[in-house]
Amino acid sequence: MARASSSDATRAATPADRGVTGQAAATLDGRPVPGRGGVAVLARIRRWLDRRFFVLAPLPGFVLVAAVTLVPIVLGIYLSFTNYQPIHPTYQWSGLVNYRGLVHDPQVHQAVKNTVIFAGFGLVIEMILGVGLALLLARPARGISVFRTLYVLPLMVAGIASAVAWRALLNTSSGWINYLFSVVGLPQPNWLASPHTAMPSVLLADVWSGAPTVAIIVLAGLLAMHKDPVEAARVDGATDWQIFLRITLPALRPVLAFAAVFRLVDLFRQIALFQVVTGGGPGLATTVLNFFVYQTTFVFGELGYGAALAVLLIVMMIIPLALFARLARRSA
Amino acid sequence: MASTVSFTLTSRRRRRAGRFLATAGLVIGLLFILLPIFWLLETAFQKPRDAFTVPPHFIFLPTLENFRSLVHGQFAGSLLHSVILMTGSTAVALLLGVPAGYALSRSRFRGSRAITAWLIGAYITPALIYIVPLYVIYQQLGLTGSYLSMILYYETFQMPFTIFMTRGYFTDIPRSFDESAWIDGCSRWLAFRKVILPLALPGIATVAILDAIGAWGEYFGALIFSSPSTETAPVAIYQYVGLDVSNWSALAAAALFVVVPIMVLTAVAQRGLVRGITAGGLIG
Repeated sequence: MARASSSDATRAATPADRGVTGQAAATLDGRPVPGRGGVAVLARIRRWLDRRFFVLAPLPGFVLVAAVTLVPIVLGIYLSFTNYQPIHPTYQWSGLVNYRGLVHDPQVHQAVKNTVIFAGFGLVIEMILGVGLALLLARPARGISVFRTLYVLPLMVAGIASAVAWRALLNTSSGWINYLFSVVGLPQPNWLASPHTAMPSVLLADVWSGAPTVAIIVLAGLLAMHKDPVEAARVDGATDWQIFLRITLPALRPVLAFAAVFRLVDLFRQIALFQVVTGGGPGLATTVLNFFVYQTTFVFGELGYGAALAVLLIVMMIIPLALFARLARRSA
Repeated sequence: MASTVSFTLTSRRRRRAGRFLATAGLVIGLLFILLPIFWLLETAFQKPRDAFTVPPHFIFLPTLENFRSLVHGQFAGSLLHSVILMTGSTAVALLLGVPAGYALSRSRFRGSRAITAWLIGAYITPALIYIVPLYVIYQQLGLTGSYLSMILYYETFQMPFTIFMTRGYFTDIPRSFDESAWIDGCSRWLAFRKVILPLALPGIATVAILDAIGAWGEYFGALIFSSPSTETAPVAIYQYVGLDVSNWSALAAAALFVVVPIMVLTAVAQRGLVRGITAGGLIG
């Protein structure tokens, strides 16, 4: 506080305060300072505002964030206790009806199960492949920068574009995947229409961009790592595997934790793939909770029930969110 | 002597084998990575009747027919809507977000950590959590289908991202820079605009590009909130999937229209990319 007032005192005699210092002075912009008179009041207001700069400057931004995030969340919780339908926007308080409904809804059970399967398998596969890929990309080989560049490509392909491509690639009769299978002499499954292969198909499409994402995060960690412990271990005769397990992996732990939580959040949020590639089917085979919220709200028009499902989705995400918060705190 | 020679030989052979396996692994992975991208290119430059045939035509005379018919059709309008929304939402995010990021980087008050946590939480919350109640708000206010409604929705991810990321870039600039500017007679505002902002400009440019990419590729919110007069390019692509699945060439060409600008922007923002992916160097 002392520091602020002393700098205020300094500022009072500076050219920055237009009007106070007279017409000879110029502002830092190089513009001439306007004359005295009514301008003095303006200058005083400006000085008053400037003293509160660090409160006022961020205010519009924070107000907007609150308006578009906090308000919807509170309203969403309220809506989950109503029977709001977008077609005729008159609604009534319905108490716990929606929540009682979702507890007994077999479709919800299926969606929760699918979410856990999708997020769980997706996370494990993407972490293993991503870390492996990062280790390969971290080798100082010739031409490695070309590989590094090409492996970033999936991150640049918009979700909708990759969803369209995977839908076509996995097409039973004219998709490239089944064409390749036929060339090699493998049976050609009905990828998207069979309940056994639909979920693995979507997982494949998610891994396509998820594994490179993990790889790039881990690669950044690997390249920032100190080389000395690895060199020392190698001189002492440690094998590559020992070096990986005892030195690289422990040093990478914060990076790996971050990548894992980051992916987990994204797996929970995935929706374009489900909508475009499988439409949640066949039956409910690929209906995850996020997609079910969309269907209930905007396809079946049960917005109140959809809001209750959205609350369930947040509850399911509390675990990854809490992990994220812990990571953020540790890094701070 | 002999044993050491054979030892170095096998170790050299093993290292060479390891190098070969590593390259082989990278190449096989790359084929998988390039598969959808090849499909998009092969299909988009193919005459519609030749696309999606078995066996696929890998060797063909490329045609621009699909792109031409898109540019002359409704899709051109969708691209324009996308550009308007991308520019508008990114401008709002920067205008309001950058000062907030700066203030957050300079303040050590007790709530600033809570605010940061809130921003991260807001950013990673699934879009649908916002979309459902926003839909009701827009319906009640008669905003459905307007640019305003979509820009406000885009801010649910752009604002937290912008504030959080710029906070990181401003933190890299020592406080002593502000303080010496103040002592030299700058007002807080002037010190921010004339001293700090120019220093942070490369970082802010990166954030702007990442914001723009986020808005350009956004699909789901636009699907819910847009009307025919504000429909974005990604939404138009989805309509093709529903309406005309037989014309895969047009679909692939449209997808390339969405993807190529992102690739160009990413190439520009290359150095900031990893920092963007890791949410502003959350892990340092």
